[in-house]
Amino acid sequence: MSEKVNLNVNGIEIESDPNKLLIEACEDSGIHIPRFCWHKRLDPVGMCRMCLVEVETPRGKMLVPSCTTEVSDEMVVDTESDVVKKAQEGVLEFLLINHPLDCPICDKAGECPLQDQTMAYGPGESRFVEEKRHFEKPINISEIILLDRERCILCARCTRFSDEISGDPLIEFIQRGNKTEVNTFPNEPFKSYFSGNTVQICPVGALTSTSYRFKARPWDLKSTRSTCNGCPTGCSIELNSSQNKMLRILGVDNDAVNQGWMCDKGRYNFEYLNSDSRLKTPLKMMDNKLVEIEIQDVYSELTEFIKDRQTKVNFLLGSNLTNEDYVAFREFSKTISQSESSFYLNDDLLYKGFFGDNIELAKIDDLNSSDAIVVWAEDLKEKLPVLYLRIRQAVKNGVKLIVFGHTNETLSDIADVFYGKDMVSENFEILKDLSKMKEINNLVVGKNITAILGKSTPYQADESITKLFEFLNSNANSKVLNAYSKGNTYGAFQTLENLKGLNDFVNDISKDNTDLLFIVGADPIGRSVYSNQIKSIIKSIDTVVTLDNFNHETSELSDYVVPISSTLGEKEGTFTNIEFRTSRIEKLVPSPGQTVSDWEFITSLMNFAGLKAEANSLEDLNRKAYENLDSSLSPVFDNLDKPSNLDGMINISKPKISTSENKLNKTMFFTGEKLYGDSATERHSDSISMLGSKKFIEVSESVVEKYNLTSGSCTLTQDELEVTVSYEVNNNFPNDLVYIPTNRRELNKFDFSREILIIPTQVKEALNVN
Amino acid sequence: MSWDDKLLKQAKKIIKLYPQKRSALGPLLHLAQSKDGYISDDSITVISELVGITEVQVKSVSTFYSMYKQEPTGKYLLSVCKSISCEINNSSEVINKVQEFTGLNNNETDEEELFTFEAVECIGACGGAPAVQVNYETVEGVTPENAINLCEWLKETKPDVVVADEMQENFGGIKSFDWAIQDNSGATSTAPGFQTLKTTEVKK
Repeated sequence: MSEKVNLNVNGIEIESDPNKLLIEACEDSGIHIPRFCWHKRLDPVGMCRMCLVEVETPRGKMLVPSCTTEVSDEMVVDTESDVVKKAQEGVLEFLLINHPLDCPICDKAGECPLQDQTMAYGPGESRFVEEKRHFEKPINISEIILLDRERCILCARCTRFSDEISGDPLIEFIQRGNKTEVNTFPNEPFKSYFSGNTVQICPVGALTSTSYRFKARPWDLKSTRSTCNGCPTGCSIELNSSQNKMLRILGVDNDAVNQGWMCDKGRYNFEYLNSDSRLKTPLKMMDNKLVEIEIQDVYSELTEFIKDRQTKVNFLLGSNLTNEDYVAFREFSKTISQSESSFYLNDDLLYKGFFGDNIELAKIDDLNSSDAIVVWAEDLKEKLPVLYLRIRQAVKNGVKLIVFGHTNETLSDIADVFYGKDMVSENFEILKDLSKMKEINNLVVGKNITAILGKSTPYQADESITKLFEFLNSNANSKVLNAYSKGNTYGAFQTLENLKGLNDFVNDISKDNTDLLFIVGADPIGRSVYSNQIKSIIKSIDTVVTLDNFNHETSELSDYVVPISSTLGEKEGTFTNIEFRTSRIEKLVPSPGQTVSDWEFITSLMNFAGLKAEANSLEDLNRKAYENLDSSLSPVFDNLDKPSNLDGMINISKPKISTSENKLNKTMFFTGEKLYGDSATERHSDSISMLGSKKFIEVSESVVEKYNLTSGSCTLTQDELEVTVSYEVNNNFPNDLVYIPTNRRELNKFDFSREILIIPTQVKEALNVN
Repeated sequence: MSWDDKLLKQAKKIIKLYPQKRSALGPLLHLAQSKDGYISDDSITVISELVGITEVQVKSVSTFYSMYKQEPTGKYLLSVCKSISCEINNSSEVINKVQEFTGLNNNETDEEELFTFEAVECIGACGGAPAVQVNYETVEGVTPENAINLCEWLKETKPDVVVADEMQENFGGIKSFDWAIQDNSGATSTAPGFQTLKTTEVKK
């Protein structure tokens, strides 16, 4: 540890780490210095001059910006002197010269740093009588972000965020002096997966989102802290609602996880909560039609199946359940069925992973302290967006990055070594002997590394990743972050034993071993690559009960559909993230109609059937989830609610996943998922539905030549199925490879083990004419 | 790409002069200026691909500096200094005369695309105030009368290469000092004459 420095601020002695910025050192000691441009997670620029303080120098007292001044020993600082006050008044008067003061119609009013600091530090009146500068009132800089340039005070927070943090600098200062404005390049919108963060950090109302614009006043908002369940990163978030409607989600600065950032999908996908299409009443299949029934009837009819405990029951669970929900199903299965039930996760990428006894599992923070990071997984920017930001941050801090595989091209830009098509074959196997690859040996052997490993597509053999893992494990001091990419997967790992994946579901489940199938929060027909197989399985099974927020392709084939409350803001529970950090999921808004929580439904059903449930309340389930852990350290509600544990508690466990390797025939097509898709929840979120509706494929250059693609679109056909898509050339693909995003509907309906025809659009039109 | 092979070759040569690609941004913008007489959005796209930054980042730089024009300029860019030394030495009259002759307001280009006029801040020739630049070739000690003569000469002879020394001799007056040995090279476009950019040529 380096020594501390002592400084005197406003007559008070404070201590700080050396190399800290003055504004930060003061903040840590409880002395607030006003600021607009400075942000803890961004590099300082000293743009706004609001943080001027007086510092004693050999040449007398001087005004310096505290956001660009480092502390030094025996520094004497005054943050409240008359000179400082005068400076602050001056800065604010200047900032307000061109500010439109349209606070009455501004969404930021009430939580606006400019408004607040003008009240606290401003001169109280303006001497400016001239015409303010004018711009066209809000312009759309992307589908979901609006920019009002008149309100902008040019702090550069948004432009710095997009450059430093998210790495997609599509907004910048244009012009100079009085004419300076933030803008995009013409016809090049601010298309970023992280654009919502700029709205959150904007210190004025210049950047607003279409989602929250004109929806509420900050002082009318109810808010609570929770955890995003969109992907296993588990970002800390703040939920905002007004009049019992969820209106906004903000990122919370959890140092160990998301550091305040979120992806736009996590931020805006909540809109489905308010959709009119939400399921509000239970449905029952009668004469091939789903008709509304009462929840009491569902209980009593299902009781007939389970009360004699002879029924063979299996579960297909989605990844958006709370840990308590998973436990409820676990307890339910123990009670109702004498034969063994199996739990299947709705994940076509589930594989055994690396959880062996000799393996050290990594935390997200380990990325920063490693010598190098090795990545071979799904495209992290698409699947674990904030983890991608943390990798970017580590690389910025000097950590080396080695990336394998053409599916990880978004990281290739910042990678020190990118093993693309030359090193990784179209079958997702490493082509060369790892010990003979010079670059990786230089960066990895004998070093501390964090390996982020996962299957990049269902078509990748487990063996190929194992090879890489074994090389790293035997040649370096390696920690592993298993990169499963779906919601609360790690919560399921923690609470359910012998989990299996969708490939096992397809192989195992039949009429013979399943009388009653629960499908919870999952639409495998609409999403997975096993769509057709699962469709016929579900059709063959006697009784299928689906629990979900919306009707979808799977629920439409079910015998009962139960509307459930969403894990996002409509129920309480816990969530476990990629590093086995468990944190709180909180409830803020009531759920509509007759919706119930998964665990409520299951415990009520047991009670209705007269089966004695061991856990009858959320607290019971929560305790049961962690009963094997040391009670003082386990993430039960009592512990999680302690102020010191708000960021969650880590309990690394080594799950037993008993999925078998999926044997998919590899053809020229491989599948994956993009961040935005068109699942039921995404379709019913206005913001997201615009972003995830386009159907496209990515092709290697050789495919373009082979199929004579020229018009920008083509048609994929197999049997009766015909889907017209646009195509994009991806130069990172090996020859003759086609990528299909299966989270866009219809595209997952193909049988990828057989031939799919690619017909260029112009040819197809000619065929139709004849 | 809207740049021809010759220009691209030149651009790549410039990029090689710098340790980092993006350091070549300034010269490349001058190169774009010499091609079109302004920085077109097409050029910005080409440059962003060449140096590996986004288009808006290039746009940001190109709009910050006033020597990168955002709209097409005429064949001759007339920059008359309006800063303090020149102002004391009657540059406002020079400005008036040039405006009268060309019929242009500040930052305007005439219909024949011959002249673009601008009144600019200090161009570093205070010793020879008032100073005028034609395509960034400086003439010092310009009287209002000589300013008109200079414009007339440009209009009549339409030289492809504008040479500072030649104009100084014919239309200039007092000089700050002897800048360098006499030479007959000058600017070929409304970008400053740089040898590396090939925007300078010897007048024959």
